[in-house]
Amino acid sequence: MYRRRDFLCRAANGFGGLALLQMLARGAHFPAKAKSVIYLYMDGGPSQMDSFDPKPRLRAEHGQTLPFKPPTTVFNISDQIFGSPYEFKRYGQSGTPVSELFPEIGTCVDDLCVIRSMVADHSEHTAANYFMHSGSGFQGRPSMGAWVNYGLGSESQNLPGFIVLESGLIPPGGIDCFGSGFLPASYQGTVFRKGDHPVADLQPPEREAAAQRQKLALLAKLNPGVVARFGEVSEMDATIRNYELAFRMQSAVPELLDLRQESNATRALYGLDETDTAEFGRECLLARRLVERGVRFIELLTPPRTGLDRWDQHSGLEKGHRINARAVDRPIAGLLKDLKSRGLLDQTLVIWGGEFGRTPCAQMGDNASAASIGRDHNPYGFTMWLAGGGIKPGIVHGATDDYGYFAVENKVHVHDLHATMLHLLGLDHKRLTYRYSGRDMRLTDVHGNVVREILA
Amino acid sequence: MLRFILLFPSVLLADEFFEQRIRPVLAEKCYGCHSAQVSEPKAGLRLDAPAPHITQKLLQAISYTDLRLRMPPTGKLPDAVIADFRAWIERGAPDPRPAVNAAPVKPGLDLARGRKFWSFQPLPATPSRDSIDRFLAAKRQAKGLATAPEASRRAWLRRVTFDLTGLPPTKAEVDAFLAGASHESVVDRLLASPHYGERWARHWLDLVRFAETNGHEYDNSKLDAWQYRDYVIRAMNDDLPFNRFVEEHVAGDLLAKPRVSADGKFLESPLATSFYWFGEVLNSATDSVKSKADGVDNQIDVLNKAFLGLTVACARCHDHKFDPVPTRDYYGLAGVLHSTGMREVVVDSPAQVAAIHAAHLQVAPVARRPGRAKIQLRPGETLWEDFDDLSRNAWHASGEAFALGPREGVVDSAGRGASELTGSLISRKFRMPNHYVHIRLNASQGNKDLAEREPVRVTLVADEYKSLHYLGKGQGKFEWVTHRMTLPYGRTCYFEIVDRSRTGQVAVDAIVFSEEKDPPPVSEEEPAVWEAPRPQPSIPPSTFGMVAWDESAQDTKLHIRGSHQNLGEPVPRHFLQVITPGQQPALTGSGRLELAQWLTHDASALLARVYVNRIWRHHFGEGLARSVDNFGLTGERPEHRELLDTLAARFIADGWSTKRLQREIVLSAAYRMSSREDPAAAKADPRNELLHHYPVRRLEAEAIRDAMLAVSGTLDRQMYGPSVTPYVSAYQIGRGKPKSGPLDGAGRRSIYIEVRRNFLTPLFLAFDYPLPISTIGARNQSTVPTQALMLMNNEFVLGEAARWAARVSGAKDPVAQMYQEAFSRPPDAREQAEAREYLRQGGTLAGFAHVLFNSPEFLYVP
Repeated sequence: MYRRRDFLCRAANGFGGLALLQMLARGAHFPAKAKSVIYLYMDGGPSQMDSFDPKPRLRAEHGQTLPFKPPTTVFNISDQIFGSPYEFKRYGQSGTPVSELFPEIGTCVDDLCVIRSMVADHSEHTAANYFMHSGSGFQGRPSMGAWVNYGLGSESQNLPGFIVLESGLIPPGGIDCFGSGFLPASYQGTVFRKGDHPVADLQPPEREAAAQRQKLALLAKLNPGVVARFGEVSEMDATIRNYELAFRMQSAVPELLDLRQESNATRALYGLDETDTAEFGRECLLARRLVERGVRFIELLTPPRTGLDRWDQHSGLEKGHRINARAVDRPIAGLLKDLKSRGLLDQTLVIWGGEFGRTPCAQMGDNASAASIGRDHNPYGFTMWLAGGGIKPGIVHGATDDYGYFAVENKVHVHDLHATMLHLLGLDHKRLTYRYSGRDMRLTDVHGNVVREILA
Repeated sequence: MLRFILLFPSVLLADEFFEQRIRPVLAEKCYGCHSAQVSEPKAGLRLDAPAPHITQKLLQAISYTDLRLRMPPTGKLPDAVIADFRAWIERGAPDPRPAVNAAPVKPGLDLARGRKFWSFQPLPATPSRDSIDRFLAAKRQAKGLATAPEASRRAWLRRVTFDLTGLPPTKAEVDAFLAGASHESVVDRLLASPHYGERWARHWLDLVRFAETNGHEYDNSKLDAWQYRDYVIRAMNDDLPFNRFVEEHVAGDLLAKPRVSADGKFLESPLATSFYWFGEVLNSATDSVKSKADGVDNQIDVLNKAFLGLTVACARCHDHKFDPVPTRDYYGLAGVLHSTGMREVVVDSPAQVAAIHAAHLQVAPVARRPGRAKIQLRPGETLWEDFDDLSRNAWHASGEAFALGPREGVVDSAGRGASELTGSLISRKFRMPNHYVHIRLNASQGNKDLAEREPVRVTLVADEYKSLHYLGKGQGKFEWVTHRMTLPYGRTCYFEIVDRSRTGQVAVDAIVFSEEKDPPPVSEEEPAVWEAPRPQPSIPPSTFGMVAWDESAQDTKLHIRGSHQNLGEPVPRHFLQVITPGQQPALTGSGRLELAQWLTHDASALLARVYVNRIWRHHFGEGLARSVDNFGLTGERPEHRELLDTLAARFIADGWSTKRLQREIVLSAAYRMSSREDPAAAKADPRNELLHHYPVRRLEAEAIRDAMLAVSGTLDRQMYGPSVTPYVSAYQIGRGKPKSGPLDGAGRRSIYIEVRRNFLTPLFLAFDYPLPISTIGARNQSTVPTQALMLMNNEFVLGEAARWAARVSGAKDPVAQMYQEAFSRPPDAREQAEAREYLRQGGTLAGFAHVLFNSPEFLYVP
């Protein structure tokens, strides 16, 4: 079997870390600004020029042809300019403009660092999803949540260090967006679905519940005999101990999900009692509770909306983006305000964004009406925003060109975002490595620079 | 002279012009990122040396005409300077500076030194016939290490049975061995068991990232992938010589004498080539060229890791940083793979082809005449195919369905009138020039939900992805079916007309390329006579496979820093120079045939070392060289190099027989050692590199599930065939989610559960089932609470426990029987007492069975 230390590293970070965890975690390279990450994943790719990156020129030239040849896009059928159907307004002391899609997030702009110059490498959802999560466009690389837990370990005794909250939608590419790749399986994200039974096989089926304690008792009585037969085998010890951890988790999860302890004011803050916002509001509130419990990396997935395919509005953008924004705007603002009022925002890095942005052009079918216009995928320039732990608040970083197509100023590549995120967690992205396939692999591959300008 | 003056505004000699007008600008504006001044020049581009292949790109960049490529990034150069560059480049960019290596990297191991590295050295010409144990003992004795005592007969039997078949020994097998059967007879029985092939095929599938879907957004099916899985099982059971196995993988479609299946009906060899195609496939690649390059990269990675234990894919962007693999070698191989495609074709043996053809000719012809119809093309429309002459688009027929060729301007898979005929007709490749394709066809009713699984269809394959399916309406007449070429437009495409159904048929009359979304009008001048074919059950069936196919052979250009947008010189197709210096074999076609021969001849020492080491690992938990997929400089060197080399040399000398090698290993004294280690030895050699005891091992995910099925009695020992759809719970969501299969996988062994890339079975994943991404010779082995939760709460586990309990409930002593079945031993007195007490207090036999499934003794092999 493995050397003991090897083995402990392999066992330590799983669903319910061992107590030894803190001792064994590779540990931060330097003092951290943030302890946890909440990643608000806007699956499908929200449009930057309709949210946080106003482009008046698009309106002025609406309906005209782009003055340059755009790059190949997925559908590759339009170079006709499409001005944003939404109004922008400046908010807060920073005066950062936000479109009418996000009036609630608008009230938080002084906490946000809006990066308008994001660049990614892939135009297809699946590759882009893998890329945003793992720094590689291919299936099977460790997701950033896995890297973070590999680097730091989880602070939670009874919960996984990397939790993904979903309300019925998983991004294209599936659970491999949250995988551990070549890292040990213990670092993979655990997906919590909505409802009272979020994790498969966490609880016994009801008919078996009563018998479980008795079975575990028998198992505990029989195990010493087995150990005596095999001799001291460290992995076998861990297998036995895992039953205690598993049992602890069975109570930790219901306790986490029990929102009765939250006040009515908190419920309202997250929009928990309104139909449109209830699902994502619950995810956001659970995110805060997970941060409180020491979970390192929490990813929130957007809920399904009837008739819409995530944020992926190739058609019907005006209405579709409104519906999507409505579902997340209040919950996100609630989360930011709640974290701040509880003193948690300083130690929590909040990241908002999709796998790419959208083109400034009008994508239409053969018989298009104005309402049916959509936008295609655009990884060449798009917006994400960060808030909290170690991030300079109330600023806008970088810019796209006048049409919002390409990042032209202070480009922030996805590798740079990953490097910066790790930096805030106290990890040097060049030193967080794992030997695989003959070389030391990194979340940032051979790329990435920490974006110093956005650090507080 | 006049031209010269026109081009160069002032009368300067070419070199002077460069020195005065060009070099200073390069030095001031470009060297900061693109020269030897920086350790890693951006985009791998150096402008402090001649770079003739990028001058057009340089001009484009400094002209600021391309939004994505604007240099220098700090601002546009003055127009006069740009004009100087244009003039210089139009003149051929004369550059007096000395040339340097275009992609400077830290020198890794050069080829000459690389050949001296242990893994590249030749094997002993006349290998020692000393036993494995003699080699091991020599080193142990040198260190004075005591070995563990011999394991009990029960322990050894359990170990060897799981190792060779992946299933627990039955009570009868235990009894026979305890009664004195020899170790040799047990090993021979197990090596002859059909379950041996299932067990060892699964190990092999880890190396070729075996998967039955494409992953990506929709997780579409890879048709016939299961045929490859069966091929491997048969090859293992037949002890196909490993060198032949490798040759079939690399070029099974090209071998002069392909191997025919045992039943004589199909060709085995081409099925092996499916292994190229198990990678992830993009369903909507925006950049076709990059997507193709990425696919080839995955093929290079798998091919070299699986067979040679080399991370050649590291040399995609630069010379390998550690191993003697220059980038040129990568692109030499890339050319071979870029010249290789995949097609869905019939792989019938010549005898089967003849039998089907003979049966077909016995069919009384049915009246199927398309009549005469005139397609009225509109301006700009092309009648791409009218099926008068299949040579125009180089259609390739496989199977009997289209063997008779077109008749009266149609192709018809019913042939003379038999729906049982199957086959495919595949066009040449072309670039899709229009936005609509109208196909006039007459086919049995299709089901579009089946997509690529629909057995009767015309499919447009774009970028190797089965993009659009034209399906029939089953109305017995020719009708247009239209698709918009939203994604295929501008991409490399081909058509395949497929009939894999013994009841359906498809006839095609015309393929029209158009910009009109409505099909062209057709005037029917003479009505069709279209009788349904009559059943002809006497026609034998065909076998389909996804097999390699030589495209037009071409060398690939070196991709500077791995970028398909920054191309260097073409690299002639060739194989690793560290193995074959100097003159390399002349290639025919893609070069795969020569690659196959090169692997099993020039590279045979490394090939055998890597393989023998893998086999060793599966018997002892670790390889003799522990980094089983990496025999390069960063890999771990074998403690017992002499043993590995000897075994590899003997393996070759003995005809590449896997079973012979394994027989020797599992009959060794080392394999008979107990897992109880000597404390002093454990201290002196904690990694057990000198094998002083046998390591306890946890069963793999599949073996755990199979063992549950075996003891519960659910196990269905049926071999081969299409995969069982995996059970998919409500917790598994996402695009391409399949309809769930049965909870117990129909009782079939785990190797027969379909490997749906995006919906792998959670129970497997919890126990470190490998993602089908690249070669995995050593699975992770993690120990996490999820495993406990699954074993405690998973419905499959509970269900099998209940079945097991029901099966033994009538037995005289169910507890004793269950111990025997689960652990190959009777319970001791204490265990008996605990069991009695549990049952007395209301515990059920099913509950007891469930507890045994949760015992570490169920998961770990002594």
